[in-house]
Parts: sequence; C-alpha cells; structure tokens
Amino acid sequence: MKIFVIEDEKSLREDIVEYLSVNNYKCDVAASTQIAIQKLKDNIYDCALIDIGLPDGSGIEIIEYIKNHNPKMGVIMITAKNALEDKLESLKIGADDYLTKPFHLSELNARIYSLMRRRNFGGKNALSFDGLEIDTGEKKVIANGNILQLTKKEYDILVYLASNPTHLITKEALAENIWGDKADIATSFDFVYSQIKNLKKKLNEADLKNYIKVVYGLGYKFME
Amino acid sequence: MKLHTKTNLYTFIATLLLFSFGIFIVYHFILSRLDKEVDKQLLIIKSNVIKGLDKGIDPHLMFPNRSYNFSIKQIPTQTIFKNHFTRSSKKKTNVLDIDDEIPQRSLLFQTTSKNKSYEVTISVSLDERSKIGNDITTVVIIFILISIFVLFLINRFISSFIWSPFYDTLSKIKTWNIKKNEHLMFKQTDIDEFHLLNDTIKDLTQQIQVDYQHLKEFTENMSHEAQTPLSIISSKLELLMQETNYNEKQHKLLGQTYHATKRLYKLNEGLILLTRIENKQFAEINSINLASAIEEKIEVLEDFIEAKKINIIRHINSSSIKDVNPVLLTILLNNLFINAIKYNLDKEGFIKIILDEDCFSIENTSPQEKIDRQMLFNRFNKNSISGSLGLGLSLIKKIVDFYNWQITYSYKEGIHKFKIYM
Repeated sequence: MKIFVIEDEKSLREDIVEYLSVNNYKCDVAASTQIAIQKLKDNIYDCALIDIGLPDGSGIEIIEYIKNHNPKMGVIMITAKNALEDKLESLKIGADDYLTKPFHLSELNARIYSLMRRRNFGGKNALSFDGLEIDTGEKKVIANGNILQLTKKEYDILVYLASNPTHLITKEALAENIWGDKADIATSFDFVYSQIKNLKKKLNEADLKNYIKVVYGLGYKFME
Repeated sequence: MKLHTKTNLYTFIATLLLFSFGIFIVYHFILSRLDKEVDKQLLIIKSNVIKGLDKGIDPHLMFPNRSYNFSIKQIPTQTIFKNHFTRSSKKKTNVLDIDDEIPQRSLLFQTTSKNKSYEVTISVSLDERSKIGNDITTVVIIFILISIFVLFLINRFISSFIWSPFYDTLSKIKTWNIKKNEHLMFKQTDIDEFHLLNDTIKDLTQQIQVDYQHLKEFTENMSHEAQTPLSIISSKLELLMQETNYNEKQHKLLGQTYHATKRLYKLNEGLILLTRIENKQFAEINSINLASAIEEKIEVLEDFIEAKKINIIRHINSSSIKDVNPVLLTILLNNLFINAIKYNLDKEGFIKIILDEDCFSIENTSPQEKIDRQMLFNRFNKNSISGSLGLGLSLIKKIVDFYNWQITYSYKEGIHKFKIYM
C-alpha cells in the first residue's frame, strides 16, 4: 500500500511516515503543492494525505488534480481549522475524509484503514485475527464462529483498536474517536475504561485470547 | 444635575443676594434723601417760627396748613441748642377702621426770644413720601425679578448653545466601541478648551485602538502559531508511547505530559474559537429547530448522562425555529449541557430544560457553590473542583452577545440555572 503524505511541517510529516510504516505502508512525501503535483504525475498511490495549508497555494489544487487524473486514489484532507463548514467544504471538493490538526496518529491510521477497506473491498472486508473476525460491512463480530453481542460503543472501540494493531492507543484518542469534541468531559475516560472492561470480559467469555492489553496510565493496545 | 443647571442655580442665588442687598441700599438711600428734603422744610418752618416769635406773632396762627403738627411750650431756660430730628409714627385709624401707622418726622428745638424760652416740636407726616419710596422700591424689585428671569433664560440658551459640542463629544465617547475599528469625529468648535478636549480624546482613543489591535493580533497569532508546535508535541508523544520498554514511572510521566498537552490544545482551540466569533467568522445562518437541536444534544451526551444517572426533565413548549449559525448553536448547547453534566451531582442529580418561544433555560443540581457573578463569564475563571480552565462560560457569553441575546444566571438551594432570552 502506497501512501502519499503532503505536509509542509517537516516534523509532523516524519511522525506520520514513522507511524504508518509500522503497518507496512510505503510512504512518499512532498512539502509543497508543486512537488506534490510533480510526483503525482510520475507515481501511483493508493491514498493521499493532504494538508490544506501549504505554503504555495492550498491543497485543494492537489485534490482537484487527483480527482481529474486518478480518481481511484483515496484522499484524506488535513486542516488546521476545526469547524463544520471546512468539513462540508472539503467533502464537496472531493476528499474522502477529513481530519483536523492535531489529530491522533492512531486516528489517522484508522481513517486510512477504513478508507482503504471501503475503496478496495467495497466495504465488505473483514478484519481477521486468530479466532476473531470483525465484519466492518455488516458491523458484526464473530468470535470462534459465534456472533459476539457488542454494544455500539464497544464495537466502535474494538474496530478502532483493531485498525491499529500493536499500536498504543491513548485513552484520549479513544474518547475523541467516540465522542469527538465532547471528549474533554471529565467522565469520558472512566467511561472508556468501563467500556474496555466490558469488551475484554466479552472477548474473554468467548474463549478468545487476550487481545486488548492495558498500558498503565497511557492507554490500550490491540495485540495480534 | 446638569452643568448649566448648576451654574444657573449658583448665578441665580448670587444675583438674588446681590440684588437684595442692592434693593436694601436703594431703599435706604431714597428714604434718607426724602428725609433730607423734609428736614430742609422743617428748618424753613423753624426759621419762620423764630421770626414770628421775634415779631410777637402767635406761632399757631402761622400755620393754617394742617399738614404740620405744631406744639410749643414755654420752658424756664434753654438747655438744648441743637436741632433734634426724630422719626416716629403716629397711630391713626383710617376709614376702614384699621389701625395704621403713619410715619412722621419731627424736629424738636428750643429757642429764646424776648427773654422767654420755648421748646418747639414740628412734625410732618411722611405718608406721601414713604408711599413714593415704597412705589419706587416695588418697581425696582419687579424690574430686578424680570431681569433675573430674562438673564436666566438667556443663560440657559447660551449654555445649551455653548455646551453643545461638549455633549456631542460625550455622547460619541459613550457609544464608542473599542472593538469596532472606528475613528471618532467630533463637532467643530471654536472654544479652545473643547477643542483641546476633543483632540486629546481623539489621540487617546486612537492610541487605545492601536494597542487593542496589537494585543488582539498578538493573541490571535499566538494561538494560531501555537497550534503547529502543539500538534508536533502531541504526535511525538504518541510515537514515544509506541516504544515498549518503559517502566511504570516513565509510563506515568508520559501519560501526564500527554494529557497536559491535550489540555493545552483544547484551551488554545477555545481561544481561537473566541477570536473567530469576535471576528464574525460565523456569518452563515440556517433555520434551526431548537427543540430538535436540544434533543440531538441530549442523545449525543447520553453516555455521560447515564454514567452519572442524571434525570433529564424536559419542558419543551415550543417548536420555535431560530436563524442561527449551526456551528455556534452547537458550541452553545454543548457548553451549556457539558457544564450541566460535568458539575452535576454524582448520583440522583437532574437537569431541567425549559424551552419557550423566546426563552431557553437549563438548570442543574450541583455540589458546587454559587458562581461569583463578577467572575461568571470571565475567561480562565478557574473552577475549584474540576481544575479545568473555564473558557466554556466565556464562549457561551460570546455567542449570546453575538446574537444580541441575554443570559442570566441564578442559584437557589443547590440548583444552578442559566436562562437565555432570544
């Protein structure tokens, strides 16, 4: 899988590449609109991450170029702004997804994962692990051949964790994934904690191995 | 009290005192003048009497005119050589049977003629004369009163005319808003003091405006510029966390650093939002049904409401539709509800929502004390329990102000209530 990271902030670009490389994604980078379009002419990527605030013109140009020349490529837009109108705007332009800075790298990873699944398998793909299958199209979880009954929140958490295997997911990232802006509410971490506890219990009862590992003080990890 | 009313009042009092004193002087001056006239007549009579005595004529026969009272008596020796003028009054009953005092002036003198000494008293009624005095005084008083009144009117007219640039300046400063980048323009005036005042105010407001703009730009730039480094810090921390060989202490340190960074970012986000509202960047307007927006909000926050077992009481009496910016409405409701949940009791609390046509109120139970009214909508009003920096209320206030709505806060027996009049 080839990902094209277009981001002018060097440090952030490196972080994205480093985080994504763990998932065996091959990354190419560009720091400006000009270089990005040049590279797009010579290469084919599966997905592009585009920072909208580039020094030489907005990333919208790049999105338009992609839509005209390689419409199969997935596009995730990154902006520094964080309001609804930007989101609508970006989706109108043709981006498949939208992230505001600062985003959790795990969130970015999950978005790419989900976008790639939608693009390549028409959303009918399943995440498969030893004894555990998550059908993201049907929103079903099958544990050792039996359907596992999960609440919507538990399902969302499981998908999010499973989209980032072996990565540490902070409880902040999880809370934000579930509730978005409302995540700063004091009880949200407790809520995440209790949801995870229930989820672990259910996985355990289905005779699955201990997929979710708690990393003390930081967050959670999905172990393959 | 207005400036020219006060000036007029003092001028009026001063004029009144001055004129009263003047009337007093004039009155006495006229009287003494009249007395002197009378005295001259009395002295003429005196010399006639002496002449008559010398010639042996009975003085009584010399004065057929009854306007004088005349008395003469013989005395053994002359003891007084000077003229004695006295002012007295004689009681007289007039036609209406009212006792009237008739002022009179008398001259008492002693004289010796043909070896006989006499004491003579001549009295003249001053009735006519004092009447003249009184008439003059009355006329003067009336004239003075009219003058004062006319002066008062003139003063008033001149004052309002002269002070008009001042009041113009005053009203312009009053409506001046630092946030609107407008320059003050004052009425032209040829009064040096007002001119100076206007110039000073102009300079001052311009300076304030420049400073305010700088400060505002600084805050804006600061929060915008802070975004990128904050993103970098948080992604670096996330990468750092992916390493596996940490001990518990290092985990804790990392977690705390990460958490603090997130908080800082949230705070920064709030500041940017405040600035954007201030800069009117939410101009787009949609018609939104408040009742359904509220329902939606409750649904989104369901998890937190359930976690604290908060009872939601709804009194939705209206399906009113408001033209607002959807982003701002979301932020407003979010902050109101999150506060109501966050600071609610851990168990058995409630949130009561009342929606009427032009009024929305939300009240919640809370272990917290009443919020200090003065601190209520201030930025960074640190909350003692949560330790979070309160941009929430400040955002609420900003949005309410943006739409020219009113917000009130009240506290009664453990229940906090916010009411918004739309």
